[in-house]
Amino acid sequence: MASSTTQLKSEVLVDQMKKYLATDAGKAVANKVGLVFQFNIAPKKLGFEEVIYTVDLKKGEVIKGPYEGGKPDTTFSIKDDDFLKLATGKMNPQIAFMRGAMKIKGSLSAAQKFTPDIFPKFAKM
Amino acid sequence: MAMRELVTGGAACAVPGGAGSSSSSNPLGALANALIGSSSKTQDRLKEIPSSTATATSPSAEFFSLPDDHLRALPGSELDRPLLQPNRPHTQGSEFLSGFYSVDQNGALSDVWDEIHQHGPHPLLPQPQLQQPTFDGPPQRVLSSFLHSFVDSSRAGIPFRPTPLPMLGLSQGDKQCIRDRSTIMARHFFADKPDDFIDAQVNALLSSLDIDHDVRAKGPLPGRYRELEDYWNESQGMLKPGPHAADGWVTEYSQQQPHRVDPDAWAHSFEQQHGANGWASEFEQEQSQLTSVNQMRGANISSLAAMEQTRMLAHTLAQNDDPKFQNSKFLQFVSKMSRGELIIDDNQVKPASLIAPGDWATEYQQKYNGGQTWADEFVGSELSHGPDRWVKEFTTEREQHGSVDDQWVNEFSKLHVHDWVEEFGQQVGEGSLGESSADNWANAYDEFLNEQVSAKQQLNSSRGVYVFSEMNPYVGHPNPLKEGQELFRKGLLSEAVLALEAEVLKNPDNSEGWRLLGIAHAENDDDQQAIAAMMRAQEADPTNLEVLLALGVSHTNELEQAAALKYLYGWLRNHPKYGTLALPELSESPYYADVARLFNEAAQMSPEDADVHVILGVMFNLSREYDKAISSFQTALKLKPHDYSLWNKLGATQANSVQSSEAISAYQQALDLKPNYVRAWANMGISYANQGMYEESIRYYVRALAMNPKADNAWQYLRISLSCASRNDMLEACDSRNLDILQKEFPL
Repeated sequence: MASSTTQLKSEVLVDQMKKYLATDAGKAVANKVGLVFQFNIAPKKLGFEEVIYTVDLKKGEVIKGPYEGGKPDTTFSIKDDDFLKLATGKMNPQIAFMRGAMKIKGSLSAAQKFTPDIFPKFAKM
Repeated sequence: MAMRELVTGGAACAVPGGAGSSSSSNPLGALANALIGSSSKTQDRLKEIPSSTATATSPSAEFFSLPDDHLRALPGSELDRPLLQPNRPHTQGSEFLSGFYSVDQNGALSDVWDEIHQHGPHPLLPQPQLQQPTFDGPPQRVLSSFLHSFVDSSRAGIPFRPTPLPMLGLSQGDKQCIRDRSTIMARHFFADKPDDFIDAQVNALLSSLDIDHDVRAKGPLPGRYRELEDYWNESQGMLKPGPHAADGWVTEYSQQQPHRVDPDAWAHSFEQQHGANGWASEFEQEQSQLTSVNQMRGANISSLAAMEQTRMLAHTLAQNDDPKFQNSKFLQFVSKMSRGELIIDDNQVKPASLIAPGDWATEYQQKYNGGQTWADEFVGSELSHGPDRWVKEFTTEREQHGSVDDQWVNEFSKLHVHDWVEEFGQQVGEGSLGESSADNWANAYDEFLNEQVSAKQQLNSSRGVYVFSEMNPYVGHPNPLKEGQELFRKGLLSEAVLALEAEVLKNPDNSEGWRLLGIAHAENDDDQQAIAAMMRAQEADPTNLEVLLALGVSHTNELEQAAALKYLYGWLRNHPKYGTLALPELSESPYYADVARLFNEAAQMSPEDADVHVILGVMFNLSREYDKAISSFQTALKLKPHDYSLWNKLGATQANSVQSSEAISAYQQALDLKPNYVRAWANMGISYANQGMYEESIRYYVRALAMNPKADNAWQYLRISLSCASRNDMLEACDSRNLDILQKEFPL
C-alpha cells in the first residue's frame, strides 16, 4: 500500500482537537490543564517515521510539528493505534507507559495530567 | 472453655445409635437450626437442586455449589432418605461423594471424608432422630452444616456469630485449606458488602473452627498474615474513595517499625519480625495468595501473560539511562525472569525448565507499582543508613541462619540493591512525581489486571472473530431469522441479536442473517461485533451492496481509511448501474481521489439516488471535508427523510466537525424515528460532553447503556464524563457496571 494514501488515525483526532479548542468547552479544558504536550506519533513502530504534533493547552492551539516556544512540558512517543485508544479512553495512559507502549520525556507530573478528559469525543455514524 | 467441653461431650454422645444425641437437647444446635432454617425448608430446597452437580468452572461457581453439596450431606437427607423414602435410588450417598470430590479440588475436605470413613462411625447406620441439621455428629457433618449456616447468614447480611463447635480433628492442611478458601470466596461471594463485614464474617467462621489466622505462618512470623491480608483488602478496594493500596503498604510498613527513633531501628525491627527466613516466607505467602487471586479474576492469567508483564517491566526499567542501573544485576535478573530463563520455585531461583515465572512477576510488579511511596518512605528513613547498610544487614543476617532459603536470598543480595534504591531515591528526590502518583499507579495496576482478564475476548473480537453470547434462549427456535427480523423491527436490538445469532448458528452461510446481525450491533453501538458479523455476511455474499456499504461505514468509524475505501469502491464495482464506471486498473486498495471522482460521476448520473449521496457523505468524512459531507447527507435526507440511520450519520458528521448543537437536533430526529437507537443515545451523550455539559452527557450515556450494557465505548465515555463532572463517587458504580445505581442517580 502506498504510504502516501495512508493517513494517521491520530490526525483525525488532532484535527478535531484543533476545532474543539476554539469552543468554550475546549477553552475550559485548556485553561484547566495549561500545559504543552508534544506527541511523536509513529504509524507502526515506536520511534520510526514519527509525525509530531504539539497540543498547546497554554495557548489553546494544536500545531503540526515540534513545539517552538521552548521545551514542551512532556513529550509522548506513541503508536498511532495506541494514541487512538488513549484519546477514546480505551487505554489508560499509565498502563500504556507501564507496558512500554508509550515513552515519556519531560515532567512526569505534567504527564499525569494527560488524560482522555482533554480530548473531544468522536461520534460514530 | 467449659462451654466447649460441654458441646464436645455432646458430640461424643452423638455417635449413631447413642440415645443422648437428640438435637433439641443441645442449645447450640438449636441456635444453628435457627440460623439455617427448619428442616422441612431444607428438604424443599433439596428437591429444587438439580441432581447433577455442576462442574466448578470458576471459584464463585465452586463456592455456590459447595453449600448445595453439603446440603446433601446433611443428616436429614443423606442418611434418612434410604430409610424414609425407600423408592428413591440408593445412590444418594455415592452421588454426594462424587459431587463432593468434583468440587473439592484441593482435596482437603475429601481427606476429611476419607478419614471419617476409616476411623469414624459408620455413616450408613439409620438414625431417624436426626431430622434437623445440628452441630454434632461426625465431624464432616458438623463442618458442612456449619459452613452452610455461614453462607446463609452471610447471604442475608446477618453478622455471623462465632459458634463453639465440637472438636473436628482437622489437620493443619485442612485448616489451611478452609481458611484460604473461605477468605477468598467470602470476598468473592460478598463482593457487594463492605470489607469489614467480610472480614468479620470470615473471622467468626475461622475462630469457630478453631482456625488461627496465623495457621500458615510457620516459625517466626506472628501476626504477619493479618497485615498482608489488610493490605490485600485495601488493594482490592482501591477504586473506592478512601485509603489506597499504596497508603496501606506504607501503613503496614510503619507499623512494622515502631522504634523509628534509632536509625538502626528499621534493620532491627525487620530482624525481629521476620528473622532471616521471614522475607522469603512472606514472599511465599503472598505468592500463593496471588495465585488464588489470579484464579479469582476469572481467567488464569497465564504464565505467559505474567512473563509478558516481567518483560514489560524489564523494558520499562531498561528505559532508564543511568549506566549504573543498566549494568545492575537486578535488571539482568528481571530480564532473565522475563525471558523465562529463571524461575522461582520453593524460594529458590532456578534456571527455568518449562514453567514461566508466573506469580513472582505479578507479585513483583505490584510491589513495583506501589513502589513510589515505598521508595519515598524508604529513602526517608534510610538517609542516615546509607543504602548499603540495608543490604549488609540483610546479608549478614542471612548468613547467620544459613537455611533453605539461601539460594534465593543469595541471589537477591548480590543484586546491587542499592543501585535500584538509589534510582528510586533520585526520582523521588527530584520531586518529579506528584503526591497522588502512587495512588494513580496502583489504580492503574488494578485496571491493568482487569484488562488482562478481558484481553482474551478483545483479542478475538479485534481479530474480527464474531463472539457469540452464551445461554441463547433462541437456539432451537423453529425460525430464528423471522423472529430476529420481528424483534429488530420492534427495536429490541439486544433480543434481535440473540435471535439472529441463533439463526447464523443454524445457517452459517445465511448472508441476510449475518447482515442484520451486523446492523443490529452497529445500532447497538458495538462496532467490533458489527464488523465481525458484516465480514461473515460478505463472506457468504461478496457482492451484497448493503453489506459493502455497512462495512465502509464501520471502517470509517474506526478511522481505517484504506479498508473503508476498499469496501466503498466494492459497492460501486458491484452496483448494477454504476459498475460500468469502475476502472479495471484500480486495485484492491484504490486511491482516495480516484474513488471520490467515480462517486461524483455516479451522483451526476443519477442525482435522485440517495445511496450515492450517502456514500459521498461517508467519503467526505474520510477526507475530513465535513461541510461537504453534511450537505451530501442533507441531500440524501431530502430523498429519504425517514431513514433514522441517515439522521444519525448527519448528526455524527456535525458532531465531529464540532457543531454539537446542530448534531443534537439531528440525533433527536433519529430517536423520534427509532427510540431504541442506542448509537444515537450514545452520540447524544458525546455531543453534550463535547460542549462541556458533562452532567447531561452522563444521563444520555446511562440511557444508552441501560438499553445495551455491552456498549463498551459508552462505558468508557461515561467514565470520562463522570470524572469531568467531578462525580468520582459514581466511578465505582461505573467500573462495576452497576446500572441500577447509575440509573437512579442519573435519570433522563
